[in-house]
Amino acid sequence: MIFDEVLATLTDRRREMVEAAYALLENATEPVHRQYLPALGDATSQERLRELLRRTGRTLVSVDGLHFTSGFDDAVRAELTGLGWQPLPLADRAVLVLVLVYSVAIPRSEELISQDSWASPYPATLQDILRDSKVPATEARAALGRLTACGLLRNIRAGEQDGGYVPGPQLNRLTPAAREQLQDQLILAAAPDHPLAAAIRERRRHDPGDTR
Amino acid sequence: MNERDTALWWARIRSGGPQRVATGGPTPDGLRRIVEADAQAVWLIPDRPESAGPAVLAEYGVPGPAMLDSKGTLRVLAACVRCCWPDPATDPWPGAAATLDQVDQVLQRLVPGRNAVSRKALLTGASRRLAAAGWLLLEGADTVRLGPRIASYGNLELSTLRELWRMVPA
Repeated sequence: MIFDEVLATLTDRRREMVEAAYALLENATEPVHRQYLPALGDATSQERLRELLRRTGRTLVSVDGLHFTSGFDDAVRAELTGLGWQPLPLADRAVLVLVLVYSVAIPRSEELISQDSWASPYPATLQDILRDSKVPATEARAALGRLTACGLLRNIRAGEQDGGYVPGPQLNRLTPAAREQLQDQLILAAAPDHPLAAAIRERRRHDPGDTR
Repeated sequence: MNERDTALWWARIRSGGPQRVATGGPTPDGLRRIVEADAQAVWLIPDRPESAGPAVLAEYGVPGPAMLDSKGTLRVLAACVRCCWPDPATDPWPGAAATLDQVDQVLQRLVPGRNAVSRKALLTGASRRLAAAGWLLLEGADTVRLGPRIASYGNLELSTLRELWRMVPA
């Protein structure tokens, strides 16, 4: 049993700290402030927490140095996707990409949001999604509902302006390598003829193992 | 099974929900095999201490996923739990099969004011959503069972579920 094995030699208090940190990192909707994570302040506890995450396919992700969350271990993610693992239906993936293009890629290209951020205050409107999507409208709406429910998207209802969808809190769980890979994929999807896209293809051609 | 394969199984379940596996195979470390009523299928779910599970969030006042029931999906789940768990003194998993008609009769009391047509639409849509997430298993067009996620409730959550069970009119 992983938990007993990893935590066996800890005192009760430390064990409780590590288990609570694991629970908070894995289940909280938003990244957790380190004041709730005393396990991070103690070298032994932090080491066991990382081990617990690693053994369960996860890794610690620092969001801004103060807030932390957990995400898929890069090696596990690469292996599972290599095996063709894909839990999201095709329509959900298509709609997610559209929202990311409108809410992140376009504002990013206009330098409205930073290069490494997947948080955006610029919503993709329902019209954006329905107009450009090859997914039938009823399916696209159902996909938006599912993506919002699982935290990949967030629904914004603005007063005067158009409401819409922005990336959800789950995107905070991306590791630095996953963020970079997603950025590359988004460039390939949104601007396949751009020199940046050519550079990404070139880099991947030279190093097929490069899953960035 | 080595550490790497174990981590892959945990990641499959984290991303895709409880996983249905062959009846004979090995059980990855830290996971639990739960067997369906007819013993024809086995599911893998995480088996972690409650002190490392979602119940901890409430203790720390940290918000977890919000469960809004604007569409009535949770009330459909409540109706299914009421119908598929005949004796709340026992474990809810694997429970018993119920027909959608039976579920609809309970649902009727939980969504007053809806007519039969709108209730039917709610029941169809919600049971599909709940089945996709592993909370229900659909068998054929009109039979439903509890899904493997129900088996992951800890003792604390089960006592809450038992109280809710008694509150749901049947």
